[in-house]
Amino acid sequence: MLQQLVWSTEPDIERIIDTYGNMLFRICLVILCNENDAEDVVQDTFITYLTKSTTFNDSEHEKAWLITIATNRCKNMRRYNIIRKHMDINDLQLYCKDDENYGLLDNLMKLSNKHKIVLLLYYVEGYKVDEIAKILNITTSAIKKRLQRGRELIRERYRKENE
Amino acid sequence: MMDFDKIKEAVNSIEMSKTMENRLKENSNIIEKKKPGQLNYKRLISVACAFGILLSIMIGIPLFNKNGNFQGANFTITAYAWSDDGNRSNTKLLSDKATFELSTELRGITTDITGDSGHAIYTKVMLNVSGEHIDSITYTINKGKFLEDVILTAKEYADKDWLLSEKIFITMSHPDLDIYNGIKEIGNTYTVKYNEQDKYKNLITIPHDGNLAIDDDIIIKVIVKYTDGKTEQQDIVVTQESNSIESKSISLKLK
Repeated sequence: MLQQLVWSTEPDIERIIDTYGNMLFRICLVILCNENDAEDVVQDTFITYLTKSTTFNDSEHEKAWLITIATNRCKNMRRYNIIRKHMDINDLQLYCKDDENYGLLDNLMKLSNKHKIVLLLYYVEGYKVDEIAKILNITTSAIKKRLQRGRELIRERYRKENE
Repeated sequence: MMDFDKIKEAVNSIEMSKTMENRLKENSNIIEKKKPGQLNYKRLISVACAFGILLSIMIGIPLFNKNGNFQGANFTITAYAWSDDGNRSNTKLLSDKATFELSTELRGITTDITGDSGHAIYTKVMLNVSGEHIDSITYTINKGKFLEDVILTAKEYADKDWLLSEKIFITMSHPDLDIYNGIKEIGNTYTVKYNEQDKYKNLITIPHDGNLAIDDDIIIKVIVKYTDGKTEQQDIVVTQESNSIESKSISLKLK
C-alpha cells in the first residue's frame, strides 16, 4: 500500500514566510486595523507553525491551517483591545500601491470581524463557502449569511459615499 | 455599482515592508534554532507551547493531619482551559504532573479606558472544585486579578463614569451589530457557591515585568468551606518555567 505523501516533514520557515507572509499580514491587518498587532499575530502564527510540528497533506492544507491559527489569534487579540481608532487612510497608503483601492479597503476594514474574515476568505483567498465553513468551524448557512450581510454593508457605505 | 471582485485587488495591494519580513524571519529562525530543546520539553510536558513561556500550576502546601501524616484534600480542583482553536480542555489538578495549553488572550501592553497602560497577561482559565458537602469556594490570587466578561448596553458603553464605578476598565464593541462588551475587574478574591460554579467563567490577568517575564510565583489560594463550617485549603502555584522570547501562549503544568 502506498504511503500518503506529506507536504513537508521539516518546517522550512523561510519558505513559509515567503509563501504565506504577505497573505497572512493582509488578512491580519484588515482584521486588526493595526500594523503592530498584525505583525505580532503573523509572528505568533509562524512560531506556532514551528512548535506544533503539524503534518500537512498538501499546500492547501498548510495554508488553511495557517489562516485558522491567524484568524483565531486575531479574534483573541481584538477581544481584549479597546476599540482602536479605525486605521487612518494616510496610514493605509503605506501599504497600498493603488490609490483606487483605498476607499474599498477602508470600507472593508470598518466591517465587524466576522464579516471581514468571511469576505477576505471568499473574495481574496478564493475559498468556497463550504471550505470557509471548515476553516472557521461554523456552518455553511452562517457563512452565507455573513457574506450576504457583509456585501450589504459595503454596498450601503459605498452608496452613501457616492450620494 | 459595487464590484466585489475588486476586494481581491485592493487587499492584495497591501504588502508588508521588507524590514518586517526580515524581522519575522529573524525571530522565527531564533525559535527554530532553539527547537531541539523545546521539543524535549514538549515531550516531557506533553503539550505544545507556541512560544516558550510556560506557567506551571502546582498544588502546594501539602496537607497534614494531627499526627503529622500527609493527607490529601477532600476535594478535587479541575482547571478548564481554552486552546487557540476554541476547544475547551480540562485537567484535574491532582498530585500527578499534567499539562495543557491555554489560549492567551492578550500579551504585552494593554490600555484601558482610564488611559493607563500596563503590562499584563490575560488568560482564560476556569477553576472548578468537586467534592462532597461543600458550601462555597473562595479563590484568592496574590498578584494579578480575576476578571469576568460582561455585556453592556450602548448607554452603559458610552458612560465612562459608570464603567469606572463598575470597575469595567476594558471595553469593546461591534459597531455594526450594536453589541458592546466589557471586562469587569472582580478583584484579587471572590467566593462562589458550590452549586453555582458554572456561572463563573473568569479570566485571570497576571502582571509581567514588561518583558513578558513574571517576577515571582503567582499563588492562587483555594479555600473550600464545607456545610458543617469546616474549611480546607490548597494552593495553586503559577510559575513561569521558561522565558524565551515573547510568548502569546501559556501552558499550565500541574504537579
